[in-house]
Amino acid sequence: MNNFDIYLVGVGGQGILTIADMIMRAAEAEDIPANYFPTKGMAQRGGFVKAQLKLGRDTVGPDIRPGGADLVIAMELSESLKALRYLKAGGDFVVYGYQWQPTEVMLGKAAYPTVAQVREQAELSGARFHYLDPGQLPEGAADNIWLLAACLGKTPLGQFISAAAVQDAIVQRWPKGAERNMKSFKAGLEV
Amino acid sequence: MSKMNLSGNEAVARAAVDAGAKLITGYPGTPSSEVIGSIWDKAPEGVAVEWSVNEKVAFEQAGACAWAGQRALSTMKMSGLNVAYDSVISIAYSGCVGGLVLYVCDDPGVAAGMPEQDVRGFALMSDLPVLEPASVLESYTLTRYAFELSEAIGGPVMVRSVTNVAQSHALVELPPAEGFTPREPALIRDIMKYTKAGAKICMDQHQDLLGRLEQAETKISADRLYTLDLSEHAKVGVVSVGVANSFLTEARALLQEQGIDTDNLALLKLSATSPLPRAAVAELLTQCETVAVLEENEPYVEKALIVAAYQRKKQVRIIGKLEGPLSRIGSYNALTCAKGMAAALGAMFRTDLFSHDPAAAEALCCARPIGVCAGCPHRGVYIGLNQAVKKLGYKKDQVMITGDIGCTILGMSPPFHTLWTEVAMGASIAMAQGYVHAGVKTPVFATIGDSTFMHAGMPPLLNAVQNQTPVTVIIMDNGWTAMTGMQVNANTAPEYQQTPDKQRVDVVDIVKGLGVRQLFITDPYDLPKMTETIVEAARLPGVKVIVTRRECAIQAGRHKKERLHKVIDEEKCINCKLCITTTGCPSLVWDGVQMKIDPAQCNGCGVCVSICPKEAIGNE
Repeated sequence: MNNFDIYLVGVGGQGILTIADMIMRAAEAEDIPANYFPTKGMAQRGGFVKAQLKLGRDTVGPDIRPGGADLVIAMELSESLKALRYLKAGGDFVVYGYQWQPTEVMLGKAAYPTVAQVREQAELSGARFHYLDPGQLPEGAADNIWLLAACLGKTPLGQFISAAAVQDAIVQRWPKGAERNMKSFKAGLEV
Repeated sequence: MSKMNLSGNEAVARAAVDAGAKLITGYPGTPSSEVIGSIWDKAPEGVAVEWSVNEKVAFEQAGACAWAGQRALSTMKMSGLNVAYDSVISIAYSGCVGGLVLYVCDDPGVAAGMPEQDVRGFALMSDLPVLEPASVLESYTLTRYAFELSEAIGGPVMVRSVTNVAQSHALVELPPAEGFTPREPALIRDIMKYTKAGAKICMDQHQDLLGRLEQAETKISADRLYTLDLSEHAKVGVVSVGVANSFLTEARALLQEQGIDTDNLALLKLSATSPLPRAAVAELLTQCETVAVLEENEPYVEKALIVAAYQRKKQVRIIGKLEGPLSRIGSYNALTCAKGMAAALGAMFRTDLFSHDPAAAEALCCARPIGVCAGCPHRGVYIGLNQAVKKLGYKKDQVMITGDIGCTILGMSPPFHTLWTEVAMGASIAMAQGYVHAGVKTPVFATIGDSTFMHAGMPPLLNAVQNQTPVTVIIMDNGWTAMTGMQVNANTAPEYQQTPDKQRVDVVDIVKGLGVRQLFITDPYDLPKMTETIVEAARLPGVKVIVTRRECAIQAGRHKKERLHKVIDEEKCINCKLCITTTGCPSLVWDGVQMKIDPAQCNGCGVCVSICPKEAIGNE
C-alpha cells in the first residue's frame, strides 16, 4: 500500500478537524508525504465540516475523487451519508453515531436517518461498515481522540501510520491534557 | 533547510516576506484570508501588514508602494477583485517599478458562497500575467517568481489560487530566502505613466501594456515556467493548468485501471494561463491531432488553443468544455481529469464506479440550514424586525428588508426568514433606496454589518441622506469582521487593534459624519427595546439609522466575557416551544418530553427570556 486517502466528515465543534490534524502530524513525523485539505465553509458550531487527507504521494491533487477514499471517518450519523460517495468499493466506513440534530428534526418536522438506514446504505455500497455507538465511549473520554484510536485499531490506517506516532502527536499538541487524551486513546485502540 | 507544515495561503505570505515585500494589504475573504491572517500579528520588522478597509484601498496602497520602487502584495477573494478592479486595470496600464503582486483566490465548487467566477478573465482584460499554483509549494515558489516577473516587465502580476490549493496544508521544503537588500523609497514624477489625462497618454500606456505582456511571454518561456513532454510523436495531447496539474498522475492511474493505454500522451503543464508559452504551444499543436484541456471554470486556455491552432491552419480537435465532456461548474478531481483525457484518447471510460447510487444515501441526510450561533447578537435584530413588521400592521411579505454580505445575511435562514436579498458588499443600502423609488409604499429596511458598512456601505448611505430617500438602515455592529474568521476592522475595540498606536473609528461617529440626523443605538440582547426602536424609526420620515451594538458572542466568549447561562424552570414551562421556534438557538433542545437549555452551548444572551410567554426562562 503506497498511498492512503481519508475522507472525514462531521459538524463544526466536534473536533473532526483535530482528528485530521493529528494524522497529518503523525505523517510528518514518519516522513510520509501528505496533503490535508479542510473545508470549513461557513461552519460555526453545528455546520457541515469535511476534511480530505491524502497520504503517501509526492505529487497529489487536494480532492479525493468519488470512489477514491480508503477510509471514511464520520463523527455525525446523518453527515456520514455525504461521505459514502467518496469511499472505494470495499473501503472502511467508520461512523461514530453521535446525532447533532437540527431544530426541525428535534421538533419532528424533518426526518433524520436511523442507524439501520446508514448501515443499509453502507452495505449496499460495498463498504466495510464499523459503527461506534456514543454509549461505548468511556466516561470522561474525548470522543474524537477515542474515535481516531479506534480507526487505527480497526482499519488499515493502523498499517499505514503507526499508533505510536499518532499518540506522540497528541501528547505534543496538548501536553497539559495528556493524561485524559492518553486514556481516551488507549480505550479507543481496544474497541 | 528542514520541512515545514504550511497552508497555501501561509506559503504566499512567507514568499512575500522572503521576497522583500515592504507592504502586505488585503481585505478578509474566504478562501484568501489566511495570507494576512498568518502574519498580521507577527509582521517582520519593516514590513507593514494591514487589513485594509476594502480591497480597492488595499490594492491602491500596494500600487503606490510599488510606484515608489518597493515590493508589495495585495490579497483578496474573487469578489474583492470586483471591488478593486477599477484601480487594478488603471495600475496595470501604468505599470510599476517595484514588484507588485495581486493574489486572488477563486472558489470553484463554492465552499463559501458568492459567484463561482473565474478571475482569470479580469487578468485577460487588463493584460496581466496570471500565475496559477498547483500546490502549497508552488504557492510559495510562484509568488516569489511573481515579484521577479513583475520587476522584469515593469507591471503588476496576478497570482490566482483556488480554495483547495489555498487551504491545503502540506509539508514543504522551501528554497532559501533571497538576501533582499532593503530599498529607499523613490518619488518618481512621470505624468505619462502615472496619470490618465489625455488620449496620447492613455494609448501609449496601452501600447506599453501589450509590450509588457510580450516581455512576460519571453521570460516565462525562457524560465521554462511549464513542462512539455511530447512523448515520442504522440498524436494525443493534454494541456493542464494550475490545480489540474496535480491530478494528472492519479488520473492516468485511473485510466490504466480500466485498461486504457496512457503511455502515448503528450503533456503540456502550464503555470500560467496568460501569457501562454508560444513555442511550447506551437510544438504541441504541430504534433497532436487531438488535445484535451484541463482547467477549472472558464475555458480560457481552451479558447486560446483554438485560436493558436486556427492561426497555424492546423486542424486540431480541442476537447474541453466547448464541445464537452467537461463542465465549467464545480471543482475538478482525478476523475474529472481522467474523463477529459479518455475523451481525447477516444477511449471508453467508465465513470459510474458505484454498484449502488450514492445519491440515494445522500437523500437520507437531514438538511442542515446555516444559522446563527448561540448568543449571536444578530438573532435579536432578526426577531426584532419580524416583531416590528407585525406591530406596524404589515404581513411579512409586505415589507422589504435587504440583506448584505457576511454573518448578517444569516437572517435569510429559518426560523427568521427576515431578509430578501444579498448582492454585494454595501449593496443593501442602495438596493433599499431602489425599492423606495420603485413605488413601494411600505417601510423599506436595509441590514448590514459594521465591517461591510465601512467597506462599501458609506457611499450608499450618503446617497440616501442627500436625497432624503426614506429608508431605515440597521447597522449590526458586533465589533468584528466575523464570518471570514474574526478579523479586526476600524470599528473593533482599541484593545484588539494591531498595535497600541492604531486608532479605533466608532461606526456611530461615521454615521453622524455622513449627515444622518435620526440615529438610534440599541442592544440587540434587549429584545423589547430592539423591537420598539425599529417600530419608532420606521414611522419617521427620511433616513433613519439604527446601530445595534453587541460584541460577537464567539469573540466575547474567547475573551472570557461570559454571561450567565439561562435555564428553563420546568415547573413553569408549558413546552409550547415558542423559544425554539422563534429563536432557532442551537442551545435550545427538545428531548421529546421537555424543553431544555444546553449549558455547554448557551451564551446567556437572554433573547429567549423575552420570548417565553410563561416567564419560565431565567438565569441559572
